[in-house]
Amino acid sequence: MPRLLLLLPTATYRTAAFVDAARRLDVELTVASERPSTFQAANPTGLITLDLAHPERAAEQAREFARVHPIAGVVGVDDDTAVVAATIAQAIGLRGNPVAAAEAARDKYEQRTRLARAQVPVPRFALHRVEEDPSTLAGRVPYPCVVKPLRLSASRGVIRADAPAQFVAAFERVRRILGAPDVLACGEPARLILVEAFVPGSEHALEGLLVDGELRVLALFDKPDPLDGPYFEETIYVTPSRLRSDAQHALASCAQRAARALGLTNGPVHVELRHNDRGPWLIELAARPIGGRCSAALRFGSRDSGLEAGGSLEEIILRHALAMPMAALEREACASGVMMIPVPRAGVLREVAGIEAARAMPLIDAVEITAHPGEALVPWPEGSRYPGFIFARGDRPAEVEAALREAHRKLEFVFE
Amino acid sequence: MSQSEIRITAEPIDNGRCKFLVSEPLHAGGVRRFASREEAQGSPLAESIFSIPGADVAEVIVSGNLVTVVKQSATPWPVVGKAVGQAIRGALAGDRPAVAAKPAPAAGGGGTADDVLYERVADLFDQQVNPMVARHGGRVELIDVQDAVVMVRMAGGCQGCGMADVTLRQGIEAMLQQHVPEVRGVVDITDHTAGSNPYFAAAKK
Repeated sequence: MPRLLLLLPTATYRTAAFVDAARRLDVELTVASERPSTFQAANPTGLITLDLAHPERAAEQAREFARVHPIAGVVGVDDDTAVVAATIAQAIGLRGNPVAAAEAARDKYEQRTRLARAQVPVPRFALHRVEEDPSTLAGRVPYPCVVKPLRLSASRGVIRADAPAQFVAAFERVRRILGAPDVLACGEPARLILVEAFVPGSEHALEGLLVDGELRVLALFDKPDPLDGPYFEETIYVTPSRLRSDAQHALASCAQRAARALGLTNGPVHVELRHNDRGPWLIELAARPIGGRCSAALRFGSRDSGLEAGGSLEEIILRHALAMPMAALEREACASGVMMIPVPRAGVLREVAGIEAARAMPLIDAVEITAHPGEALVPWPEGSRYPGFIFARGDRPAEVEAALREAHRKLEFVFE
Repeated sequence: MSQSEIRITAEPIDNGRCKFLVSEPLHAGGVRRFASREEAQGSPLAESIFSIPGADVAEVIVSGNLVTVVKQSATPWPVVGKAVGQAIRGALAGDRPAVAAKPAPAAGGGGTADDVLYERVADLFDQQVNPMVARHGGRVELIDVQDAVVMVRMAGGCQGCGMADVTLRQGIEAMLQQHVPEVRGVVDITDHTAGSNPYFAAAKK
């Protein structure tokens, strides 16, 4: 039975989905986190601690472990562990991305630089240090523009500015966000701010798997709520896309070119794109799967695929990492969607009412509240944690979108 | 308290199992498991749930303010759940206790295989599992053993913890395989959304 090394940071949402997928594949699972499990001594082959903040060190630790317990595949679940996984894969000789490519995907500035050089359409961009004077910069940036931290995820700290005064306010607000203790722990990237032109148009997310450099599109999501700022908290994803098929092909082609320009070769990609009358635009490409609990919106499998019907995205990722057979990667035939529940306001959550009523709505598959009572909810742009997720399936994307909105209306967030 | 003030939250575990968290306690005398309509006699809550038309209820487990229902029909939980909610409200409004006390074992009678497993698993939890999770402020409660499947509920730092599945599968299940290999599986019936102090809170996208 092959052994999979799964890199799970302790703050990930992805634990259950990946652990369940490993169980379904019946592989030997070793979970590596940056902090030790209390069961590590009791199950030393199933639980290990790696220095996930330092990929080279983590690779040394993994190589030591693999000498005694051979590893057949390694998988990271987020931006940082994607780099660690690439480093371990290279050290042990496993399937994975080149380390430099994974690092370029994680670094928004390096990514845009490589993409622009390869003539992949990206917004105009420039990198600034937090110490710079925004009132001086305000005269040089294009408007409308987007100010974003170099290294944060989930649109945390991403702010649109349409005029110099807004730019100065946005820059100073992002500077304050970068001063938060958890961000300062990122080191040098926490001192850097990216400013790029705002690209109007519809926004889409492409979920894909790279197999020896070739992009296989697993799903293309529409984001029906306009993401025009000033903040960029995401809400609804629905697939299949309602874009014209030529536009869908253009987005997929753009994602493929971006992956190639970065040098990514194997594993999942989550690509944020925009589309307007000038065609596709690459906003960001991550060498990881879709975040949060959103992957539950995707089910795969057909009789000849090697996957049981209802196979998950995580199952596909693990099969690929372990070079297990996988003929077809077709998503189920129905429309599917997820709503990342918006943070209604800042405050300490007491309870969420109406969950049962939301679950009882037509087409609703699940309502998962991930925030816990007593938790301080923080809206965007300072926040980055959705309080929960709603999932729906139906015949048509429009029905799914409507069902998600209707179920969301049933929820009431009660604050202390 | 009127029936309308009773709050019930349904948390489906899978197509066959669903837990119902009730704002009022239903049974204070430990865990009671009903594996048939006959066993349910004398406990109005279990009687009502076994009588839900079309649900083909196979088991009802009651502990404190938690009711776990196991059904065999394909009827979805949003449909069956409404009837379970009515049964819970009806039982709480009745004159008799919703759940009767567990009958004393017959003198000289031996325990079932599940009873024997329960004792061994309980020992393992007391001696090894709970001291380990206590280091993270957690606690794991053994709810029941049914057909060699162990049902647990996590509390404290484990409830709502982002790594709860790792603890369950790589920790608890691995220890059970080693020390009580007759156990066929572990089911977590925790209401993780109610965890107010998880040791690791998921925070990244």
